[in-house]
Amino acid sequence: MLTIRQRTIIAAVSQAVLICIICAFVYISFRTIVSKLRAIEIIDDLNISVLEMRKTEKNYFLYKDVSAINDLISLGKEELRNIQAEKEYISQDLGKKTYLDLEAKINQYVEMANLIKQHPHITLDFEVQFRNLGRDLTQLFELLLKQERRNVNHIIMLGVLTLICSLGFLLLFQLVLWRYFSRLIIQELAAMEPLITKVSEGRFHEVAVAPITPHNEIGIASKAIADMARELEKREGELLQSEKLASLGVLIAGVVHELGNPLNNISLMAQTYLSLYDMLGDEEKKTFMTDILNQSERIRKIMHSLLDFSRQKKQELEEIDPGELVEASIGLVINHMKLADVELHKTIAPDLPKILVDAPQIEQVLINLYVNAIQAMEKGGDLYVEVGRSPEGDGVVITVRDTGSGIPKDILPNIFDPFFSTKGTKGTGLGLSVSYGIIRQHDGEITVESQEGQGTTFTIKLPSHGKEEGEGDAQRNHRD
Amino acid sequence: MPKEIIVIDDEKIVCNMCQRVLEAEGYQVEAFTDSVLALARIKEKRFDVVVTDLKMEKVSGMDILREVNERYPDTKVIMLTAYATLDAAIEAIREKIFDFFPKPVKIEDLKNSIKKALEGSSE
Repeated sequence: MLTIRQRTIIAAVSQAVLICIICAFVYISFRTIVSKLRAIEIIDDLNISVLEMRKTEKNYFLYKDVSAINDLISLGKEELRNIQAEKEYISQDLGKKTYLDLEAKINQYVEMANLIKQHPHITLDFEVQFRNLGRDLTQLFELLLKQERRNVNHIIMLGVLTLICSLGFLLLFQLVLWRYFSRLIIQELAAMEPLITKVSEGRFHEVAVAPITPHNEIGIASKAIADMARELEKREGELLQSEKLASLGVLIAGVVHELGNPLNNISLMAQTYLSLYDMLGDEEKKTFMTDILNQSERIRKIMHSLLDFSRQKKQELEEIDPGELVEASIGLVINHMKLADVELHKTIAPDLPKILVDAPQIEQVLINLYVNAIQAMEKGGDLYVEVGRSPEGDGVVITVRDTGSGIPKDILPNIFDPFFSTKGTKGTGLGLSVSYGIIRQHDGEITVESQEGQGTTFTIKLPSHGKEEGEGDAQRNHRD
Repeated sequence: MPKEIIVIDDEKIVCNMCQRVLEAEGYQVEAFTDSVLALARIKEKRFDVVVTDLKMEKVSGMDILREVNERYPDTKVIMLTAYATLDAAIEAIREKIFDFFPKPVKIEDLKNSIKKALEGSSE
């Protein structure tokens, strides 16, 4: 494929060639006209001389003056000399044959004049011949003159017409080229537009892996944009990591405190166990140890959630039916729900499109939401879990709604922040921010609505499998 | 008459263990995980010693401390806390706390501190 530069060069060269051709044509016409005009001049001069000769001829035959015939001869000789001097021009312009013919006739005229001088008493016949020759010459010259004049006019007219047409054609050609190039450039730039738009929307990965065509200047620019997107993607990852690191101080304080509780409990229980050892019955002793084990399990869970947060886990994607996924996740908390007096209302739409997800991660998110919901409904309540097709038709929507205490409006925007917790010292506050991150990595969206005293609804949107760009896709808010 | 102690901490295990150990020492112990309820109880009944956590929801250890100092100047308050910062300690000292222990507390130290607290009171 030709680059824009190559095309421009071809266009310029073809224009230049056209102009050169026109110039050449004009030059040739000009030369021709000039030479014709010169020829006309020469012939005109010769013609005048011939007319002079004929006048002298007439004079001689009228007055039989010797000087007249001498004049005639010298005029004739001069004429001959003149014509011979311009032999080249005349041969070029009128043709060699014409020249020779003229030369011959003038020669003949001069010879005959000489004869008349030497033999003044010429026959009438001879006189007639002579005069006829003179007349021939005159006529010949006149004809030639007329011819040449007509030719020149012709050439001039033709030249002007052709020139106008050529210039017109050149102008048209120019317009066509302009149109072609402006369309070409606009087209190529338009091809770049989606790439740039995607970058501005933060969809760096899509741009980084997009195939790059065409192989011209725009391709180079597109490639530069793709490279830029690759860099941005990398920086985005780094930024996310550094955001996490920045929060690390806060995290450490929170987690240390969080770990402090179970550790403190273990210490207390162990001390109490030792202190009251003799008084404790076997069952009580077992209870103590079991409680200690529970506390150490608590520690393990906190450390696990911390590791999850700090690690950039690699996703293992599989195609799965969203209904099945939700069912599985519910199965894990159903007992918890019963104990907490929470009634489950499950609605799973039929014929849902498959989604491409890391199933354990999405389960983690759902369970996080269920547990939050259950905790929000201290005195029991209702939990509504719904799965359906998204209204735009390009994915699935999962809603988890509770009838709990709700979230106050002023803290609602912050609930996906890391370490944000409404549970006081009880939670690490990592659950929702990790959930947010997981959904975002799946190109999905998670949003929350809440009304204090009435309940909270979490809405998760996930794209269906097979679509690269859905309309309801995530705005990449780089939060974690 | 056995001395009466109130233990306030939002961790159930802390309340349980302290209660068991202190009851084994012969004290009468009431334990609360809800500091709001604990405050209400303090308002209606005098205790000899108050053992409380610092950071709790709604009503904090400092609130308990101030209430006790106001109502029962003779009652000693012992604070246990995971947040053993200098500022917290200074604030507590200003409010005339009896003793201050960072968690995890050694039960022996707590028992000794309570003994000392009770020695000071005339009853």
